[in-house]
Amino acid sequence: MFFTPQTTVQVEVADTGERYACTRTESLLRGMLRLGQRGIPVGCVNGGCGVCKVRIVQGQVQRLGPISRAHVSADEEAAGCTLACRVAPLTDVVLCVEGRMAKPFRAGSAARGAGVSNPQPTR
Amino acid sequence: MGILRIGHASLRVMDMAAAVQHYEKVLGMKTTMEDKHGNVYLKCWDEWDKYSLILTPSDQAGMNHVAYKVERDTDLDDIQAKAEAWGVRTEMLPEGTLPSTGRMLKFNLPSGHEMRLYAFKECVGTDVGNVNPDPWPDDIRGAGAHWLDHCLLMCELNPETGVNKVAENTRFAMEVLDFFLTEQVVVGPGGAIQAATWLARTTTPHDIAFVGGAQNGLHHISFFLDSWHDVLKAADVMAKNKVKIDVAPTRHGITRGETIYFFDPSGNRNETFAGLGYLAQRDRPVTTWTEDKLWSGIFYHTGEAVPSFTEVYT
Repeated sequence: MFFTPQTTVQVEVADTGERYACTRTESLLRGMLRLGQRGIPVGCVNGGCGVCKVRIVQGQVQRLGPISRAHVSADEEAAGCTLACRVAPLTDVVLCVEGRMAKPFRAGSAARGAGVSNPQPTR
Repeated sequence: MGILRIGHASLRVMDMAAAVQHYEKVLGMKTTMEDKHGNVYLKCWDEWDKYSLILTPSDQAGMNHVAYKVERDTDLDDIQAKAEAWGVRTEMLPEGTLPSTGRMLKFNLPSGHEMRLYAFKECVGTDVGNVNPDPWPDDIRGAGAHWLDHCLLMCELNPETGVNKVAENTRFAMEVLDFFLTEQVVVGPGGAIQAATWLARTTTPHDIAFVGGAQNGLHHISFFLDSWHDVLKAADVMAKNKVKIDVAPTRHGITRGETIYFFDPSGNRNETFAGLGYLAQRDRPVTTWTEDKLWSGIFYHTGEAVPSFTEVYT
């Protein structure tokens, strides 16, 4: 066989309606990244930073590795929350994004309503 | 007198076997010790003290503490007195609290990050020795990092509530620990808010950095490489080992570092960088980056925002 397609399932990001095909051996996040798709925030992709926190609202997933308890408690996990980088889909999946990026520097709020054309260094 | 350099970082990892594999095979460190609590100690080939990284088993990622080495044992007493007078509570941990390590002065930076200072750690020598040494050893693995060079700590910054732990940490580091400021980012009206700082004790542009964020955390620990080509090779090693690369090889405006960022298997960010940047000296004018050129400071070539770089950390 020159072409042996892997069995894929459909993943839908309910927040945005984005859909992509994911294999059952890769994480939801890796599957999205591999296709250059968007929808779930991407962080460390290793279970530590928590930005890809999602809630599985439909379908079954399987854990691939440890998930930081600083970001997903055991109770939350029991209620369907997990990190998209650490679970593979077993069936078609619909998910909601729970994580979000924490804004750096607070530059936006710091600069609100003020120009920055003549900044003075602080010492 | 005072602080010499970064001594070690203690990181939490969620899968010890994967973490050791990463720091040995990708960074090129060697395991030098394990203790009865399951902590693993590693060093780089060009370091002479027994360890520069402690991996501790945990259910989450992040940093336990960062330690700096001081020149003399009495420096610990001097800095303890200065820190207490400044208003920071300290504790002297007895020798042996960490294996192969002398007594440690423990305190929290104003941001809350735990820092420790020590004067003694068992010297085991570099992998090439110190008598007629070869320039590099034959058994280098992976990126072949020379040494742990610095860390960047994310510190709470919220102008609306007046909280600026970047500025507080910077003041503490300068007034008590005798670091000097090399570069800073200023934001807000008139650039009144010090949003990020880089400070040195050695002659390199930074031995520690503080950057403002929503909450405290570890942004990265950084390892030194010799050259730009070593940075490229490090990226090859990461691709071979399916390491998640955060930022592919590029240059910082700030510190001029040639760099690559990636994540360890628990999501702690690592950097390998090359280029000593410039000669950092106490009398060198401080470099200031303004809010409109912030991203040129971070990624010089594109000058464009990479949200994951500033918004993702452990």
